Amino acid sequence: MVSLSFGKDGTYSMIIVEYNKCAGCRTCETVCSAANHKIKIGGVDYPGLGNPNLSNIRVYSYNPDTFVPNVCQFCEDSPCVNACPSPIDKKTGKKALSKDEVLGNIVYNPSVCMHCGNCARACKEKSAGVIIFDEQERRPTGMCTLCGGDPQCVKYCPYGALHFVKGKVKRKFYKMKPDKIAEILAREWYKGKGGKVQ
Amino acid sequence: MKIKGYNGIILDVNLTTGKISKIALSEEYIVNFLGGRGLGAKFLYDEVKAGTDPLGEENILMFMAGPLSGYPVPSASRLTVITKSPHTSPVNKKYKHSSTLSYSSVGGFFAPEIKFAGYDGIIIRGKSPFPVYLYIKNDKVEIRDARKFWGMGTNEFDKRIKEELDDKKFQVIYIGPAGENLVEYASILHTASRAAGRGGVGAVMGSKKLKAIAIRGTNLPPVDDIVKYNKLLEKYRKIFKNSNRTLNWRLNGTAGALVSSSRRGSQAVKNYREGTFKDIDKIGAEAARKQYWVKNYACYTCMLSCKKSGVIKDGPYAGISHDGPEYETGTMLGANLLVSDLAGLLKEIFDADDYGVDAIAIGNTIGFLMEAYEKKLIDIKFLDGIDLKWGDVDAILKMMKKIINREGVGMYASRGVKFLSEKIGQGSSDFAIHVKGHELAAWNVHVNPWTGISYATSNRGACHLNGGNPKSQDRGALLDSLGICRFAFFGYKNDGLREFVNAITGIDYTSEDFRKVGERIYNLEKMFNVREGFDIKDDVLPERFFKEPLSYGPGKGKVLTKEKFYGKMLHKYYLDRGWDPKTSIPTKSKLKELGLV
Repeated sequence: MVSLSFGKDGTYSMIIVEYNKCAGCRTCETVCSAANHKIKIGGVDYPGLGNPNLSNIRVYSYNPDTFVPNVCQFCEDSPCVNACPSPIDKKTGKKALSKDEVLGNIVYNPSVCMHCGNCARACKEKSAGVIIFDEQERRPTGMCTLCGGDPQCVKYCPYGALHFVKGKVKRKFYKMKPDKIAEILAREWYKGKGGKVQ
Repeated sequence: MKIKGYNGIILDVNLTTGKISKIALSEEYIVNFLGGRGLGAKFLYDEVKAGTDPLGEENILMFMAGPLSGYPVPSASRLTVITKSPHTSPVNKKYKHSSTLSYSSVGGFFAPEIKFAGYDGIIIRGKSPFPVYLYIKNDKVEIRDARKFWGMGTNEFDKRIKEELDDKKFQVIYIGPAGENLVEYASILHTASRAAGRGGVGAVMGSKKLKAIAIRGTNLPPVDDIVKYNKLLEKYRKIFKNSNRTLNWRLNGTAGALVSSSRRGSQAVKNYREGTFKDIDKIGAEAARKQYWVKNYACYTCMLSCKKSGVIKDGPYAGISHDGPEYETGTMLGANLLVSDLAGLLKEIFDADDYGVDAIAIGNTIGFLMEAYEKKLIDIKFLDGIDLKWGDVDAILKMMKKIINREGVGMYASRGVKFLSEKIGQGSSDFAIHVKGHELAAWNVHVNPWTGISYATSNRGACHLNGGNPKSQDRGALLDSLGICRFAFFGYKNDGLREFVNAITGIDYTSEDFRKVGERIYNLEKMFNVREGFDIKDDVLPERFFKEPLSYGPGKGKVLTKEKFYGKMLHKYYLDRGWDPKTSIPTKSKLKELGLV
């Protein structure tokens, strides 16, 4: 799977998952969480605790052992942005969800958010279902920030399963849900002679 | 609570009354016992009276996380299950139900999730009148009907339960038919391939009619020093990243030892009669890599990924996917039974996990039966018509099924080799390979007598993870109380772990205080057993190791002598421990020093 984004200069940023290398350890979740939920002490930002439940990348695990990190697809048609009914923020000139002009990631602006959950529904219907609407916080979660251009999930993946690249790559699992991806991979990996699966 | 890194709450569930409560965790308990195995031993000692029936309502079953659990400390993935064992027994029974405590550790994702849900551990009491599972989502705790899952193998259950839960991120721990049927050495499974295998913890869960615990949480308690914590994470991630030992774990997992142990003569082969298996190359890591393995997988934030999953490609079992062989499963269901057919071995391992039974104990038990059959101490009638010959996979699979269903010979065999040898008699106790009723694991002892000390003195009965001297035993108890994996110790050493604990909790242990927690736990466990009536007569190895030298291989001729083993090594061990060398019982001064009296 590849996450693809279009920058203003025409370059593409993407996070590629090499599924056969993913060991399902969820380190990516913890470093994403730490980097995007910093703790401020004496005016200085430190990486947070690494609670995986605050992560924007989520690893789903299956039996037989197949692991699917699910991360923003950087959809070419941005269904989440299209579905966002919020007014334009006068300061930024953007809606609650918009595409970053340099990196191409989805940027969230809570000040104009209508807390409707349309973005999450659109992501679920038209893409991989990465955006999840947090009912308690009344806001969408899961939008990849690309950590300002240095994605920590890629940097810390112990197994080299995640890549941050620029350029155009064919995406076999583009917009596909984790369940479906796992089903395809498991069929590919765990079959006996004649395709027998027990 | 001043101490950080804990939720300060133990979830307490009584399945008899249905009452669900929260126990506040005292700071004193934390400082003295940390978590996991230590905290479990403390609760067990305080709450389970001597002579309690392990399969009765009064026994408690605990699932304990540690101070490192939930934090992305590399390899902090281990859960410890603690209870009074239904499988062990002393030579002289002080009570009808005298047995040791048991602690069994399992990796994966369950311990972190306990922390996320807002607890440090779970205590299960009583017995449900019908099969149930426990549902925990943060504060929401429910006892749910599990009748439709009862009887289901762990592999199918693992898939089915996830369909029933409202969130794919639940972590689940469960028993299979072996635990339901009260096979004394039943295990508890997680992710269908990780097991808290030893000491019969699955039978205790089955006795409570508890099929599973499903848990999901979203929070993580704050740490004391976030700056130091982040520095340590950075430091140890680098250490693991750059270590050759990391690469070795990834390459072979524990399966690498199948061949190397055999080459040293230290493997359990032919019911521990030998230390080297001539066909080991057929079932070792290289063979598995060529014929079976698909990928490596890892526990929570672990950089080692020692687990290997695969699929059987050919033959009658084609299409079965599972993990293994590991050193223990590959030896106990392979080399120990002279099985050289890799696909057959993998099917045995799959079945053991699917039934939810300890692969070590069942492999050991079947080895004993094979030997007794070969020596004509029992006939084919005793075995219900199963022609149980060395290396015969079909016969082994049939016997496993008998044991799980506890039918015919399985009724006896489900109670392990000590019980069987008492039933069969005729000198068979010489080759009933157990200590305190607990079957030995895959490391044989002829070429390494210190392994024998490990087996003879471990508090849960024969244990390969125990260590052969007080220092390594205490360290093991400490590691099992932190939530860290033993395999990652090389990266941390004592000081690395202490630094982490201090940064997370703010306790500020000195290295001596930290070491002493392990010693305190080990002594408390010992005192639990002493209270049950165990003494020096129970710290003994099977006669085989003193009577029958290895007949071939690199260890040819090696045998233990009682004079050296008991007279010197074990004697010195008790002295080093501060225990009375005549009784094995801890001295008052030692207990006082550890704050245990």
